[in-house]
Amino acid sequence: MSVSKKCSFVLIALVLIFPAALSAQSIHIATHEKVVFKNGLTVLLLEKHGVPIVNLAALVKTGSAADPPGQEGLASITAQLLRKGTQKRTAQQFAADTDFTGGSVEADAGADFSTVQAEFLNKDLTHGLELFSDALLHPVFPQAEADKLLAQSMDSVRAAKDDARSVLGTYYNAYLFNGNGYGRTADGDEISLTKIHRDAIVKFYETYYAPGNIILAVAGDFQAAEMKKKLEEVFGQWPSKPVTAVKIPVLPPVKGKKLLLIDKPDATQTYFAIGNVATAAGDPDRVAIRLVNTVFGGRFTSLLNEALRVESGLTYGAMSTFDPRKAPGPFGIYSYTKNETTAQAIDMALQVLQKLHKQGITADELASTKSYIKGQFPPSLETSKQLAQIIVIDEFYGLDDREINDLEARIDAVTPAIAQQVIQKHFPTDNLVFTLIGKSSEIAPAVHKYAEKQDARVISEPGFWPPPAQK
Amino acid sequence: MKKHWLRIATLAMVCVACLSCIGTTAAAQEFPVAERTLKNGMKVLVQSDHSIPNVALYIFYHIGSRNERPGTTGISHFFEHMMFNGAKKYGPGELDKAMEANGGSNNAYTNQNVTVYQDWFPRSAMPLIFDIEADRIQNLNFDPQKIESERGVVASERRSSVDNDNAGLLDEQLWASAFIAHPYQWPVLGWMSDIEHWTIDDLKHHFAMGYSPSNATMVVVGDVTPEEIFQLCEKTVEPIPSHAPPPPVTTVEPPQLGERRLVVHKAAELPLLMIAYHVPQTNHPDFYATNILRTILFQGESSRMYQRLVDKDQIALDVSSSVEPAFDPTLAIIVAQPKQGIDPQKCEKAIYEELERVKLSAITDQELEKAKNIRLMEFYHQVRTINGRANTIGTYEVFDGDYKKLFDAAKNYAAVTKEDLQRVAKAYFGADNRTVASLLPDNEEKAKQ
Repeated sequence: MSVSKKCSFVLIALVLIFPAALSAQSIHIATHEKVVFKNGLTVLLLEKHGVPIVNLAALVKTGSAADPPGQEGLASITAQLLRKGTQKRTAQQFAADTDFTGGSVEADAGADFSTVQAEFLNKDLTHGLELFSDALLHPVFPQAEADKLLAQSMDSVRAAKDDARSVLGTYYNAYLFNGNGYGRTADGDEISLTKIHRDAIVKFYETYYAPGNIILAVAGDFQAAEMKKKLEEVFGQWPSKPVTAVKIPVLPPVKGKKLLLIDKPDATQTYFAIGNVATAAGDPDRVAIRLVNTVFGGRFTSLLNEALRVESGLTYGAMSTFDPRKAPGPFGIYSYTKNETTAQAIDMALQVLQKLHKQGITADELASTKSYIKGQFPPSLETSKQLAQIIVIDEFYGLDDREINDLEARIDAVTPAIAQQVIQKHFPTDNLVFTLIGKSSEIAPAVHKYAEKQDARVISEPGFWPPPAQK
Repeated sequence: MKKHWLRIATLAMVCVACLSCIGTTAAAQEFPVAERTLKNGMKVLVQSDHSIPNVALYIFYHIGSRNERPGTTGISHFFEHMMFNGAKKYGPGELDKAMEANGGSNNAYTNQNVTVYQDWFPRSAMPLIFDIEADRIQNLNFDPQKIESERGVVASERRSSVDNDNAGLLDEQLWASAFIAHPYQWPVLGWMSDIEHWTIDDLKHHFAMGYSPSNATMVVVGDVTPEEIFQLCEKTVEPIPSHAPPPPVTTVEPPQLGERRLVVHKAAELPLLMIAYHVPQTNHPDFYATNILRTILFQGESSRMYQRLVDKDQIALDVSSSVEPAFDPTLAIIVAQPKQGIDPQKCEKAIYEELERVKLSAITDQELEKAKNIRLMEFYHQVRTINGRANTIGTYEVFDGDYKKLFDAAKNYAAVTKEDLQRVAKAYFGADNRTVASLLPDNEEKAKQ
């Protein structure tokens, strides 16, 4: 087993998908082609040679936000079943054919969209494309495979609850949005997964998996002209049909303060999240928000990590993230500490937040962060997999290559005054939602002070928030 | 989509030294690596890649928890943390601040065998990075106040990755039971009571023992030329004097003479099962056959174990196996996540049956070729970024004694036959050679007491 200096910070690079650029030598994304087939399928093609791999990323513009109430997890189950039986292959045959190439086909759903991603060596491209399209175009959703996957997913939720870290975000979002919109878990819970039946899965697929509702990005070692022809052959005949976009409710930030304490009786450490509803993807302030959040909680020397880890040794890591989506998504401060220092660590996180509001950020902090974001950016565009994901997600959110190509200029344009405005506008102070997972009998008395409204659950109880009876 | 928190990867430890390619498929790519041994004994490997204006720099120190003693277990990892807490030129907190202000970031990892420092930066920050690395190899400072706060950080790390993580907890118990003599028996993080009692002298002793330049390997990959790296080394690192390397680890684990079993009772939703088999060290000739065997058994949804336990019997959510690079004979670990209410012994029985099946009748040609294709794809995953290439070159250099073995891996995997697979299955995956660890959920009444 290998242990690292700062695990939690490695993850930040994965969570933040905002691009930046370089100071010495400006970073540009390779030119790529966009084609819309007659049936409405949007195709993006980006050649990247050197490593003989091709990556495909199909984004279906419907995700778990379309799950019917009480059937949370439906979009995800539908996506995962695509490769569990097609007109040509059983689930076992599909796995055998894919594994034989060393490649992969994977699918899942988040709140805003579903994805089907594949990766193959270029020598296996024809075979790989056939597998990828087989999953997308010809799934049959065998009853036995649906039963198996639903049972496994149910146990996965239970297994996740054995590790507070892996469910803190789910509880936090559920409580923050009070079980509406992004508060509904994309993976489902112990109750909703029992309400999902095969007919609903088939209906979900038939309603939303249509060429006009899909953006397909292909990046890697291929010739664009040839690839376009191949894709036309494979997907060109897919009949188009109208798809109604799912409305994602725009929920306002929570007023006042509320706190949910989830009891995990064996916990020796409290895991906490603090924040509120924040921004949507494409927010005009997004570059300045990224800069300020990097100063506040987005790197090792951030104000939060300096206070909670470096100077006081209360935790292994403290961080903050914005998770912008189609509608406003969450902002959260995340950390953990031993039971006895729970209130001390939360107090300290709140003080850092207050300080940010009162003192703003210094010119030095701003300059350092600009260099940091620019310097760390190029490795996020290094592989064809990263590139396929970036272009397909930008396309979905209505963003374009300027996200990458103009970013250096956009970063440089952020002044201390703009940073100050962003702090006032986007970082909550008085209105805060707290979510804690820990040993209630030891920590409850110390954390009552944070909010007028208090809620409680036990981690082994089914579901997240609200409790099943109140739904 | 489980954001925000990274699990310590005990369930899916990636073996960085598993590269492959065979004659019948495309050949793995080679890339030129320049090498030089500095006058003080430090080996430097450089691979130029100008595709992005960035650099990945790794320094492997050949010291890890296997070089520790009871009472100060975990000191290698704690020391790794202290390498960020101030030296002569860059005081406490200044290293990270300077690096980030110049566009760089860093991390480090410690395992049983090595302590590895990683810097990722735009090429403009190169002089600064060498200045920082030379400063801390040479003039590390031990501030008593920093030692105390960092002790709290490491304790928190332990609470997260062991005390509050069922897989981390069971993994720790497993190693402690599978080894009775060799230092692989104690955790890299250290026992909590040792974390609480390390002294400044323990840290100084560890520094003196492990941090001679001659005990380190530097790998630089990215937008650089070998000449400029060697010149920077001559100026900054080469003048640092070397001293004796750590004393050799002479303890040899005696052969295991029968199955060992252990149980952990804990409040949990689901049970967990781990089975460990003693296998040879990384540079052993059986390394390649063992990897191919594990690939056939465990990798992908078409693998034998997945098909049996997850798909057909439906008794597990997941089943996987791992072996980490090691200087000394180590463990191949199988992890199965039984479904709720399933007795882990049911999973055990299925796993043993599949292992016996391999011993009795041959693997198919199709399976063998699949495994080699999977290894080829893994090779590209490891070398397609400057970061992955730095880690891979360094791992081969350190664990196989020569980075060029990386390019022989193709040949070595191609040479594996079906008979080899049966032979290693019989040699290592038998009942007497295994340690079985089960985590059994306490019932709820007991948890509330």
